[in-house]
Amino acid sequence: MTLLDDSTPDTATRELTVLGACPQDCPDTCAMVVTVRDGVAVDVAGSKEQPYTNGGLCVKVDNYLDKVYHPDRVLHPLRRTGPKGAGEFERITWDEAIAEIAARFTQVKEEHGPETIMPVSYLGTQGIINGLNVGDPFFNRLGATVAERTYCDSGSCTAYAMTIGDTAGVDPESLVHSKFILIWAANIMSTNLHLWPYIAEAKKRGAKVVVVDPVRTKTARQASQHIPIRPGTDGALALAMMHVIIEEGLTDDEYIAQYTIGYDELVERVQQYTPEWASEETGIPVETIRTLAREYATSQPSVIRIGVAVERHAGGGQTVRTLSCLPALVGAWRNPGGGILQLPLWAFPVNWPAFMHPELQTPGTQVVNQYLLGQALTGELELRTPLHALMVYNSNPVVVAPDQATLLEGLSREDLFTVVSEHFITDTARYADIVLPATTQLEQEDIMFSWGHLYATYNNPSIEPRGEAVPNTELFRRLAAAMGFDDDPIFTRTDQEMIAEAFDWSSPAMEGITVESLKEKGWARLSVPSPDEYAPHREGNFRTPSEKTEFLSSAAAGGNFVVPLFRQGSNDHQPGQPVDPLPHYIPPRENASADPDLASRYPLNLISPKSHAFINSSYANIEFHQKVQKPATLIINPDDAAERGIENGAVVRAFNDRGSVELLAKVDASTMPGVTVCYVGHCRSDALGLSTLSSLNPTRFADLGNAPTFSDTLIEVAPVGAGEA
Amino acid sequence: MAYVITEACIDAADKACREECPVDCIYEGDRMLYIHPDECVDCGKCVTACPNGAIASEYKLTAELEQFKDVAVEFFETFPQAEGGAEDVGPLGADHPVVASWPSGGAAG
Repeated sequence: MTLLDDSTPDTATRELTVLGACPQDCPDTCAMVVTVRDGVAVDVAGSKEQPYTNGGLCVKVDNYLDKVYHPDRVLHPLRRTGPKGAGEFERITWDEAIAEIAARFTQVKEEHGPETIMPVSYLGTQGIINGLNVGDPFFNRLGATVAERTYCDSGSCTAYAMTIGDTAGVDPESLVHSKFILIWAANIMSTNLHLWPYIAEAKKRGAKVVVVDPVRTKTARQASQHIPIRPGTDGALALAMMHVIIEEGLTDDEYIAQYTIGYDELVERVQQYTPEWASEETGIPVETIRTLAREYATSQPSVIRIGVAVERHAGGGQTVRTLSCLPALVGAWRNPGGGILQLPLWAFPVNWPAFMHPELQTPGTQVVNQYLLGQALTGELELRTPLHALMVYNSNPVVVAPDQATLLEGLSREDLFTVVSEHFITDTARYADIVLPATTQLEQEDIMFSWGHLYATYNNPSIEPRGEAVPNTELFRRLAAAMGFDDDPIFTRTDQEMIAEAFDWSSPAMEGITVESLKEKGWARLSVPSPDEYAPHREGNFRTPSEKTEFLSSAAAGGNFVVPLFRQGSNDHQPGQPVDPLPHYIPPRENASADPDLASRYPLNLISPKSHAFINSSYANIEFHQKVQKPATLIINPDDAAERGIENGAVVRAFNDRGSVELLAKVDASTMPGVTVCYVGHCRSDALGLSTLSSLNPTRFADLGNAPTFSDTLIEVAPVGAGEA
Repeated sequence: MAYVITEACIDAADKACREECPVDCIYEGDRMLYIHPDECVDCGKCVTACPNGAIASEYKLTAELEQFKDVAVEFFETFPQAEGGAEDVGPLGADHPVVASWPSGGAAG
């Protein structure tokens, strides 16, 4: 809704309040209130009316205007004038830019075939019309290589779907009713802030809050108990919890009998996963494991909140499989506030096909996972058709994709034509042939799902686009017209027409909600039971083939897969490898028992959690956010630092066979001995030695859904000036 | 260190911020409130809650209010018992020397 006080004389300041929505890839999707004076946004605040946002944003988006009006914003199309990576550009017109892109795409397509073109994108903006799938119809029709985008929760989604189906699970607002809250590998204070008041309320009402995390984060410090765990061994702890719960008869037998399948097989399977075994694997004392299992089982309703980190190791998929089985074992689903909170996104009837249009795809089209982009560009990855053109939007792969050195080598290819649509000349945009100016959320219209709560949100535009920036939707309309795709109405849809298609409005979840009501009020809770009543699996009704929790997963028979949403709707060339239908333990690849030689050379784990002030690489170039986040550091335990002669604040080199990064050491017991921590997102252009932590991260996939294995990384650390190169 | 309470809170503590703080990290001195620098999670809700405009990010303080950063750090060094939740700790009944000696009536009303 836009409010304008018409009684204000024209000569006076004209102030408007516009209801918007935070665009970031965060579970909280806040309802924002933007104050605009004389056409200039002067304040961005959190809605006081939307219960989950409840009046606050966060350190990232409170300062959104620093980004919108930043002097470095790209405001006009640019063409490269210097060597790739130099960041030297000249201004061109939109007509010139579109004509050049269309001509190059057409030329590449004719000379080498359409699969030599590939989109590279993710969730730099999360709106339904401008976000994940905005380019999919264009590239599907073009016949371009399908981009598999498994940055976040893909493995988790495969595992969760195999176990309980694509269900919302738990309403986060129901957590006030939880008696036991198990926060597993999630730093709520930095990455899911608006959930905390519900947890705090539950705690006030007597709930126990336990955090499982290798790092004593701010979240861990606020909890009743913090259980430090060796990276990548979460599955061992979860399986041992099952072992104890079954061994000690703490199961909800009636719930198991009625609403699960495969219990007998599960009982047999978990015999081997004793707390003693798990203790060796995880570094957690046996008694702590037993107590955790007992309290989790007997304090009903109990809830597990998992973040995205828990999938980021070789056995990440099976870890989420196990965690998704636990609530049924103890009957947690019986009451509001019980179950597992993964992605309540599934509650939203988003009309994904209208945004992906997979029917436009040529069957059998090549699929390339974006982690392998560097290898795909350099020829290390064998492709049916090598790549000759890239189009990057909503993403900054140089910072967020692994194997940075290889990716930079690939992006430097003179024969590669690269287009980047961006707000800034990012580390990736520096390698572009053409840079296109993109709007920020204040300058565009969109409609939002959430993957952290049950409110749909509307983003009304609050200011005119800066310079010649355009929303992604408009960019693809222009490109489609230039490529002659505008013979199909899919490619001429206006933003309003796309918003009208965003949800299945006839779905029960959308009862009483219309585009108009959303636009007017800014947000709406889905038409689902209240948080005091929401218990969708009280009587089973899981979204699996059996409608039960599948300890023994029937979907596993189809082999490993990536949810098609993360691959432009394609189901071709799925990974497909056989999957054991019962939960089991897959140890990390990079650890002492799996690879003693590697661990002798690189004895320290490296994990790379999400930052407090950046969201992935977004905001990493903004001065305020840099001050809050501080320069890139490596947190190292005092014992490990002392062993290496590393002092607090010293420049150190973190390295492995993949690369080397220079960081400032932060010697701090908040991390376990043997575990180092580097928060993700800092700009490569600001980095000591022009290298960031993605240089150290592996490109290998986890066991399910092609999830990343960023937390399955071993390194060695040395003071700069010492040690070998 | 994150958000900082400044001069305008002295003798005018409204405490609305404490209702809003999701981590209960705003502790009560004698003449003003103090945000625990290590417990604050930078949500910014206290800023909009404060009717006196007394709260700002440590990175957005004016030169004359810069000293309140140190005031907060030193206050919690002096009162190490002030941790883990202000509600349980209760009023501390004392202030940082800068605040204790602040002229009365000097704060915005």
